Amino acid sequence: MRHVPTLLARELNAYFLGPMAYLVLLAFQFIAFLNFWELVEALSRPQGEYSSLRDPMNRYIAESTPFWLAILIAIPALTMRLLAEEKRSGTIEPLLTAPVTEGEIVVSKWLAGMIMYGALLIPFALYLPFLYYQADFHFDPGPILSLGVGLTTMGMMFVAVGVFFSAVTRNQVVAAIWTFVALFLMVVVTHLLAFYFAGRRQTSLVDAARHVAILDQMRSFALGRFDLRTIALHLSVCVFVLFATTTIFAARRGR
Amino acid sequence: MIEARRLSKMYGPVTAVDRISFEMGRGEVVGLLGPNGAGKTTTMRLLTTYLPPTSGRASLCGHDVLDDPLAARRCVGYLPENAPLYGEMRVREYLDFRAKLKDVPRSKRRRSIAEAVARCGLSDVENRVVGHLSRGYRQRVGLADAIVHEPPILILDEPTAGLDPIQVREVRTLIRELGERHAVLLSTHIMSEVEAVCGRVVIIARGRIALDDRLDNLRVDGALFVEARGPAEAIRKTLAATPGVASARTLGEADGVASFEVRPKPGEDPREEVATRLVANGWPPRTLDARRGSLEDRFVDAVSRAGLVATEAEAG
Repeated sequence: MRHVPTLLARELNAYFLGPMAYLVLLAFQFIAFLNFWELVEALSRPQGEYSSLRDPMNRYIAESTPFWLAILIAIPALTMRLLAEEKRSGTIEPLLTAPVTEGEIVVSKWLAGMIMYGALLIPFALYLPFLYYQADFHFDPGPILSLGVGLTTMGMMFVAVGVFFSAVTRNQVVAAIWTFVALFLMVVVTHLLAFYFAGRRQTSLVDAARHVAILDQMRSFALGRFDLRTIALHLSVCVFVLFATTTIFAARRGR
Repeated sequence: MIEARRLSKMYGPVTAVDRISFEMGRGEVVGLLGPNGAGKTTTMRLLTTYLPPTSGRASLCGHDVLDDPLAARRCVGYLPENAPLYGEMRVREYLDFRAKLKDVPRSKRRRSIAEAVARCGLSDVENRVVGHLSRGYRQRVGLADAIVHEPPILILDEPTAGLDPIQVREVRTLIRELGERHAVLLSTHIMSEVEAVCGRVVIIARGRIALDDRLDNLRVDGALFVEARGPAEAIRKTLAATPGVASARTLGEADGVASFEVRPKPGEDPREEVATRLVANGWPPRTLDARRGSLEDRFVDAVSRAGLVATEAEAG
């Protein structure tokens, strides 16, 4: 793993030295702005309307439709080029004939994707200190931190899925669409499945679906329920997907 | 330095490289020749560990490409076809990145890069963005990348493709220089390039080695071209009777000067004897030239023979 810093530095340079990174960040800033507006609107309504479970602070990000839409589109867009682009342009050939292992390449691509993903979340965190200090609204930072950790481990898993599909094909569009479908299944379909089972009163299946539904997981993180089982699930999926990526990437050399 | 033993590569049902074996030592410049699709690039990719062989073995500096791929890669500098590069990086930055990947120690890195830049004539464009460079410069950046860690083996896939004639000459000079210290395997379909830089030629056709010989040997077994003043028929008979000559043929006669093609017996060089006999008979020779067997003829010959063998094999 000695070459990871070198590979990572190149990857980040390619991303942050061009306009692409800043355009994506700008777009996300806009969504974060809408989100924050929504939060401030909700907070300024009369207090009696909501119980603690419907506290607008707890619904910030985790239950925001624009946020999830943006994540579902942004992650495939960021990860699609990581390996597919190298294959298409042929730069994978000098890379794989240097004394570098496939594992090092996959890990550095994944780390680069994680840093890009982290940069996307910064705008959302940026407004909160203003709310706390400027507007003197002393919310409880605990649930926000718990949500932050949950979003990070979720991102680790999502980016790993993106790298996986980028390793499978040389076509970026194919990689992006497959990643989108996989994330859509994990975020939305599992959630709908929980509803479906609830309708049929199959409680054990409802619990199972809620446990894996990303939307439900993030909601409970935002409520301050810091569930280590969820973290463990995210991390183990991430490691498994990265391992599968390395294996497939090595087996598909030159194709 | 390079050793390949019955190396094969199949793409599904298609055999790209079919049981090729050859060896290369230090200080050799070997030209890999072949028509398009003959398996040149695949062979190079097998040797550089980019592709795993379907069967057979290959080793670089004693490191097997399957058992110890990292060590094998460390001792080879590879210029892939079309020299793919990261377009957004600057030349020096790119070479620095590659040198780091190839484990050039920090203390030596600056010097190695400066040397590679100088040898490939890149000092003018050192700080330019790779994506803005012309084809020829990009090719040279690829070449600089191949030599930056001073590998004992160089594998160059069409190193002069896309260069202008002056650059071609520079690159050939560079390859000849490198050939003194390294083992260089280069692929090309330009015959004059092989004649200019290579000591040995391996011709590949349909995935097989059709010919593997030193360039000198390929050249000498051509016929002699003789011109002399005198009666054509008498001269022809004398030439044919000269020891070491297999046959003599009149090519033409003009202004009392006749020209002949003389085929020597295999392994013999009757030039001196021919000259002595002509002079002794009072027919002053005007030209006596060991006509170089053209490499192109040998190439076409070898390739079509390989094609014939393959067709027979398929038919049988």
